[in-house]
Amino acid sequence: MLAAMVYEYLDTDARPADARTYWACQFAGWGLYGLAQLYNAIEALHVPAGRALAEIAALNAAAIALTHLLRNFMRRHRWSTMPLRALLPRSLAVSVALGTLLGLAMHFTSIAPMWVLGDEVVLPQIPGFLLDPMFVRTCNWSLAFFFWIAIYFGLTSLRDQHVAMLRQSELTRALQLSELRLLKSQLNPHFLFNSLNSVRALIADDPECAQNAVTQLARTLRYTLRSGQEELVTLERELEIVDDYLALESLRFGDRLRIERRIEASVLGVRIPVMLLQTIVENAIKHGIAHLLEGGTLTISAALHGDTLHIEVKNPRPASEHPASPDGIGVRNSAERLRLLFGARASFELDLSHADLALARISMPRES
Amino acid sequence: MKAMIVDDEPLARRELRRLLASFPTIEIVGEAANVEEAVAGVERWQPELLFLDIQMPGGTGFDLLARLDQAPQVIFTTAYDHHAVHAFEVNALDYLLKPIEPERLAAAVARLHAAKSHQLQPTSQEPAIERLFVRDGPRCWFVPLQEVSLIVSEGNYVRLHWGKAQPLLARPLSSLEQRLDPRRFFRANRRQIINLDFIESVDLGVGGQLHAQLRDGPEIEISRRQARIFRTLTTI
Repeated sequence: MLAAMVYEYLDTDARPADARTYWACQFAGWGLYGLAQLYNAIEALHVPAGRALAEIAALNAAAIALTHLLRNFMRRHRWSTMPLRALLPRSLAVSVALGTLLGLAMHFTSIAPMWVLGDEVVLPQIPGFLLDPMFVRTCNWSLAFFFWIAIYFGLTSLRDQHVAMLRQSELTRALQLSELRLLKSQLNPHFLFNSLNSVRALIADDPECAQNAVTQLARTLRYTLRSGQEELVTLERELEIVDDYLALESLRFGDRLRIERRIEASVLGVRIPVMLLQTIVENAIKHGIAHLLEGGTLTISAALHGDTLHIEVKNPRPASEHPASPDGIGVRNSAERLRLLFGARASFELDLSHADLALARISMPRES
Repeated sequence: MKAMIVDDEPLARRELRRLLASFPTIEIVGEAANVEEAVAGVERWQPELLFLDIQMPGGTGFDLLARLDQAPQVIFTTAYDHHAVHAFEVNALDYLLKPIEPERLAAAVARLHAAKSHQLQPTSQEPAIERLFVRDGPRCWFVPLQEVSLIVSEGNYVRLHWGKAQPLLARPLSSLEQRLDPRRFFRANRRQIINLDFIESVDLGVGGQLHAQLRDGPEIEISRRQARIFRTLTTI
């Protein structure tokens, strides 16, 4: 229990693999540094081995604890996001502060002075403070802490770069997938294959009607495939395609599909996002009229109020169906395009407050 | 073979009817445009085969199957949602993609005739059920009853022991019992009906009951009253 609490306090990594790497680096780095100090103490300074080992182990354990606290501190204060000119003086200051702390500790706990003076000719030429063991120890420890910080930021930035790259490629993949889904939803395979089936039936019974249907289907498909190229089309052009589409759906649904248009002549020249109305009409049939035994009337109205175009698509829907989100990649995409093009000046609303009715309302400015 | 076309689109029905005209073994006895009409049509014409669309107003093709007492042979016809047909567990069914290719239709009909020649013809006036359509949660099955070893009552439902699967059917045991083949299924006790073909051995119990051991299954107690009938049935 206590161990878990301590561990929790010590370990602030999100991923356990990162935590393991971090601790491995900590122990390996300070371990190597300690071994070098040990070698120096025993071989060059002739400190008794047991004493040297105890002191150096204690000091390096303290270094691990201090750098771990430093890491938490740096994370809390978001040092990784700082520019180099802010980071460098802070790192230096921290290194010197921690270095002085451990340098002094080392100086006053070890057998001082342990400096072996050998060359009597050279030594007097060296400034005295460089020979002061307290100063040398402080410098060594400060350098060690400074390197620690440098290595820490080097490794974490490498890792972050790798993670960012992974995320980028995931993002690209998701984007491609959503584009594919959008295209598929625009092509509306259910409609496409059912229409082809209607055409096949008509070829024998009513060749002329079959010919018309093929033309309408071709126009609808071409329009859909080209819709990626142009942003805005006139309402007149969009309505032509909506009519083609509705003519094909009428073949399938027979008299279950009734259509009412209330389009003012003045609105025909207004430019709207391509496929906007078409997607909404498709949705009205797919989620509304197609589910009704007796079918229903689809009403499309468009009018100008001042400089604002209002379009409304009204359709009956099964009362039992929950006001679920209208399967929406197509509709969502339309709404999103509307927002991108016109911002707050345009709005799209799907009103499902009536139990057996769906109302799609668009309002958008007339482009001058 | 009596067949019925269930599709909400008049043109689709007409097209299928024309395609089927070149199959003299298939007699189209009727059409339906939705689940309600289809339920009535099945009642009236007793078709052995349904050409069944999946997406229809007022209910799907699966909804229709769930409402029928006995599942007829089914060939799904669908424009795009064939993945819905794949929702079926275990026994794959035929489906045709619209527009229907005549060759694919011919193959489906041929497979159907091959399957039919294996089946026994029912003798009684009200034919015994051979297959059940079961929808349990998101999964659907066509369950051939001859493969069901045990039927257990669970309130208004029954659980079918069918190999490893144990789907639940929304029907009381008593209503199902009336439509089971009496030569195959036997009411062992208040809660259980066993398939005689699955009985491995029968032991005498104390007080006149019998214990029937089912192949790869549990031991079922045959109540004293039913044991008497069981003896006359099997002349033990």
